[in-house]
Amino acid sequence: MNHTLTITTNNEASVVERLLQVTRYRGYQLAGLQLEPLTECAGLSVTLTVCSDKPIHLLTSQLHKLYDVRDLQLVSADIAALRA
Amino acid sequence: MKGAELLLKVLQQHGVDTIFGYPGGAIMPIYDAIYASPVKHYLCRHEQGGAFSAIGYARSSGKVGVCLATSGPGATNLITSLADAMLDSVPLVAITGQVSQAVMGTDAFQEIDVLGLSLSVTKHSFMVRSVDELASTLTDAFAIARSGRPGPVLVDIPKDVQLAEIIVPEFAVKPVQKAINTSLAQSAQARQLISNAQKPMAYIGGGVHMAGAMPQLQEFLAACPMPSVTTLKGMGSVAKDNPYYLGMLGMHGTQAANLAVQQCDLLVCLGARFDDRVTGNLQKFAPNAKVIHVDIDPAEINKVRFAQVSFLGDMRQILPAIASSTDCGDWLAHCSSLKQQHGWRYDHPGERIYAPLMLKQLSERMPDNSVVCCDVGQHQMWVAQHMRFSHPRNHLSSGGLGTMGFGLPAAIGAKLARPQDTVIAVSGDGSFMMNVQELGTIKRFRLPVKIVIVDNQRLGMVKQWQQLFFDERYSETDLSDNPDFVALAAAFAIPGHCITRKDEVESALEAMFTWPGPYLLHVRIDEKDNVWPLVPPGAANEDMIMESN
Repeated sequence: MNHTLTITTNNEASVVERLLQVTRYRGYQLAGLQLEPLTECAGLSVTLTVCSDKPIHLLTSQLHKLYDVRDLQLVSADIAALRA
Repeated sequence: MKGAELLLKVLQQHGVDTIFGYPGGAIMPIYDAIYASPVKHYLCRHEQGGAFSAIGYARSSGKVGVCLATSGPGATNLITSLADAMLDSVPLVAITGQVSQAVMGTDAFQEIDVLGLSLSVTKHSFMVRSVDELASTLTDAFAIARSGRPGPVLVDIPKDVQLAEIIVPEFAVKPVQKAINTSLAQSAQARQLISNAQKPMAYIGGGVHMAGAMPQLQEFLAACPMPSVTTLKGMGSVAKDNPYYLGMLGMHGTQAANLAVQQCDLLVCLGARFDDRVTGNLQKFAPNAKVIHVDIDPAEINKVRFAQVSFLGDMRQILPAIASSTDCGDWLAHCSSLKQQHGWRYDHPGERIYAPLMLKQLSERMPDNSVVCCDVGQHQMWVAQHMRFSHPRNHLSSGGLGTMGFGLPAAIGAKLARPQDTVIAVSGDGSFMMNVQELGTIKRFRLPVKIVIVDNQRLGMVKQWQQLFFDERYSETDLSDNPDFVALAAAFAIPGHCITRKDEVESALEAMFTWPGPYLLHVRIDEKDNVWPLVPPGAANEDMIMESN
């Protein structure tokens, strides 16, 4: 099952590596990645699409506690599925 | 001043007076600043030993440990220790020198991407690109290391940043930012679960003492009488005289603890994480129990076991909020009966030394508040089973990573953190050789660390598994060519003694404890002795293998 996460991070050199490292180690396959610097250049907007049969909260809880992650949202379809 | 001098000032600002490390080319400016600094540096004999000493210092004192290493091999030698600190939630700041930015990325001499290497074994890692960022980065590193669920933070500092001049900046120690706001919204549900339970059980991990919630735990267990069990890291959390404490649970837990947990109908999990060494077969673990889970790390809630009620935040606030009287007299009596029925036996036949009995004697003879630092293997489990501790900070054992070589350097750090307390390194003959070079550190600083080597001339735990699960094919576990450990200690001016018989134990322990300096006691045991009980892989915790099976 695919899940899409929108993540706002600090614009640090290693932040993308760390997001991808956690994603791989926790057993989620990368299905898409988009990066965009935020206008004030102090942050990065990351859209991460992952594929796994595991519950997505096992990944979001690990990503959310990373120091450079300021905000993390599941796209609405995933939230609806979680609530169902 | 130079960046290197600023670093020492920032350490002092954070209350750091003791650091561990090993110098090298890319960190020489910092070592030059150490030369004139009041911060005391302890030169270890390997970066891994230095970092384990910092971990021992942190775990025995509750402070942040600090270690230093140079670039390249110095930094890579830290990786195992960082992983150990990560898995055991130890607040550690590791500072590495890096080659100058002008040559970074050119495969320069002793250049390695330690930040990249560290990603999976740290809570966070920093590269300091400018001396202007140095103070604030170090301040962030300390705040991250100790906040929420503690952990290791790496700060990689290029040599040019160490050498750069800076006017002393204004900086302040950041208050520890708890990442989690404690919510007590589910308190009423938790109290109801506790008061309705017929067979409640407290399952206590290292998170309780790390939260500073030891008093609240005793009050909780008094207000809601229920039996309790602890993880390896939670040992010492429950008062020694609590009649309903059943010991450690899990693969080598007590029979009473494992049987009772399997039978309970409510598991109150406090600062623990349902680790696989605790649960055995997860699907069969405490099959009839509802779960209340209290933790500081949101990623641990519902990670491997669903919790009917969960709390994130400060254990000191949560425990009083969920306290509720229990009515489970029959269950308490049943657990007491299990404890009596399955108590340890020490009537081992013959004259040779039986390690569980020797460790029990050691536990009874050691002064109150002694710190015991273990290595990994059979002796580690025997220590957990047969020694008693008054606080988790008195029992340092590599739990999550299970790192052989942890014990001796951790004991060095513990002795420096708590010079007034007796510190004992209990090691196996395999583990001891993994950081044996730290005998040089003990010699240099004349640290009165007591060392007990439990020697079966084997990699005992691996051999035990080969015996049980690999058709007695003893592949590469024979260590019968061990060195003469007493002579080895003597080479570092550490006196020692070797014993082989039960009747030598008492006098040998007396000699070790009354000797004013470091001392090594070499205890020869039979290679046939194994650790029991044992929950075999894939089995439920009630299916323990016993010695007689």
